[in-house]
Amino acid sequence: MTGGQMTARETGTGGAAPLLELRGVHSYYGQIHALKGLDMTVKEGEIVALIGGNGAGKTTTLRTVSGMMKARAGQVLYAGQDVTGVPAHSLLGRGMSHVPEGRRIFPQLSVRENLEVGAYSVTDRALVEQRIQEGFALFPRLKERENQLGGTMSGGEQQMLAIARALMVNPRLLLLDEPSMGLSPLFVEAIFDIVQMLNRERGTTILLVEQNASMALGIAHHGYVLQTGEIRLSRPAAELARDESVRKAYLGDE
Amino acid sequence: MDLATLLPFVVNVIAGGLVLGFVYAIIALGYTMVYGVLQLINFAHSEVFVTGAVVGFEVFRVLEANPMNGYLKLLIALLAAMLVSGLLNVTIERLAYRPLRNAPRLVPLITAIGVSLILQDVLRLIEGFQGRFDLTYTLPGGFSGKFCGEGSSCVALGDTLRSIGLDLQLKDVILIVVSLLSLAVLNYLVNRTRLGKAIRAVAQDRVTAGLMGIDSNRMISATFLIGGALGGISGVLFGMKFGTVNAYSGFDPGIIAFTAAVLGGIGSIPGAVLGGLALGVIQNLIGVTNIFGGLLGIANLESIDASYQRIGAFIVLVLILIFKPTGLLGKSNVEKV
Repeated sequence: MTGGQMTARETGTGGAAPLLELRGVHSYYGQIHALKGLDMTVKEGEIVALIGGNGAGKTTTLRTVSGMMKARAGQVLYAGQDVTGVPAHSLLGRGMSHVPEGRRIFPQLSVRENLEVGAYSVTDRALVEQRIQEGFALFPRLKERENQLGGTMSGGEQQMLAIARALMVNPRLLLLDEPSMGLSPLFVEAIFDIVQMLNRERGTTILLVEQNASMALGIAHHGYVLQTGEIRLSRPAAELARDESVRKAYLGDE
Repeated sequence: MDLATLLPFVVNVIAGGLVLGFVYAIIALGYTMVYGVLQLINFAHSEVFVTGAVVGFEVFRVLEANPMNGYLKLLIALLAAMLVSGLLNVTIERLAYRPLRNAPRLVPLITAIGVSLILQDVLRLIEGFQGRFDLTYTLPGGFSGKFCGEGSSCVALGDTLRSIGLDLQLKDVILIVVSLLSLAVLNYLVNRTRLGKAIRAVAQDRVTAGLMGIDSNRMISATFLIGGALGGISGVLFGMKFGTVNAYSGFDPGIIAFTAAVLGGIGSIPGAVLGGLALGVIQNLIGVTNIFGGLLGIANLESIDASYQRIGAFIVLVLILIFKPTGLLGKSNVEKV
């Protein structure tokens, strides 16, 4: 970890206004009570990591934020507005972009078409082309595979495509669900570098859900530990990474 | 066996089969596109197709005395049929299928059969209102009227065009040209436009398409509109080729076109075209097996007559379901990581 990074993380963005706020959010899958009164804040310009074990409700949190699921109780506030239950396709126009679990790229569309579909809400053709080129600059591998079908690419390439696709709307808030899942360490490193770069250079606010807690806390400003649908801990990421119980439970320390 | 007699005969049988096949192909596209987005077999598509034929006939009836060019009349008939059939299909989805979007798959399937039956009787009712109880739309004069090219002599729809060396009538050539144009436009629409890409995205992953800001309901409506318009085109072409249509005429071509879609791989657009053409040719070959039998001196073949034609489609359906359920160009389910 570089010194500069430490400084950034420790100074953080303490003064910034919250871009995303969850207040007492309850979500259900049918009868299953998945989120039990979640309170969470993501400040503008931050990377916030949401860590926790399987079934803790991490994905559900992202789905509830982006409008793929509707909270049964509580409020989701985005950029000062109540967006509880607002469907995903409407939130996109307000700068919220969600990279879903399992990447979910369109297998029978080419890499370029995946990006074009990602830019569906952008009507200016020149701008779409510009953003596609920006995506290619960010992930040169995608440029090489421009006309290949999405479904034929490796997991790491698909993850790159999923992120590039989410960036087509130039999001203010990027929701990332398990970007490291199933990837080789080399790809994980590359993906996390890009995420950190997006945050630093473009000022994109990022809510990152990860099983790979050490990687996530390594780049985040703030961290939340989620357990069976409830927030257990909320600390600056560097502090969480040092926390004894977190190290035992999520960082694989004995 | 005399090859010199057999060869031109076979070529003509195949050409005739391709003409029929284009009708099946355009109908099959309606099944396959809807299946692509909803995994639903829209059994009402056969009635959407008949509606197109009826609208085409009505346009020709209205324009019968009008001295305008026959091709212009045909164009108006095609556009009107596309519009009516397209909107009918959109309405069917909106009223009958959308409320069942999250129901088990069998439920909308049975609904589709129900809609098909309802539409058959609505078509019959409309015929009744018009005081014509024969249940048959016969081809009005305008439809078989003269088609005149620039400065050249006029030909009727039923005239055989000897000049191209095939036993094809003018209406067959028109049918092929209209089909090819429709396919070209559809190909452009689906593969090149923003709308087409959005429809394909919805077909592949509706939830993720929603994350991209695509309103899947609108794309599903657009798919029904396009599929219905293709049904309208095929209806007019079918009516032009065979001359009569009644409220129940959709069943046979509908079921064969559905088989064509399965043969090509349901959900696949090129597959539907390939399947349609293949079934058209197969059907025509079966229709003339008795002649082949005679030419080749095989008594067994001689006893098969044209009434066996339809069986061919079903034999193909059974074989494809046994040996290659995904169809010729169908994709097996891509694994989602």
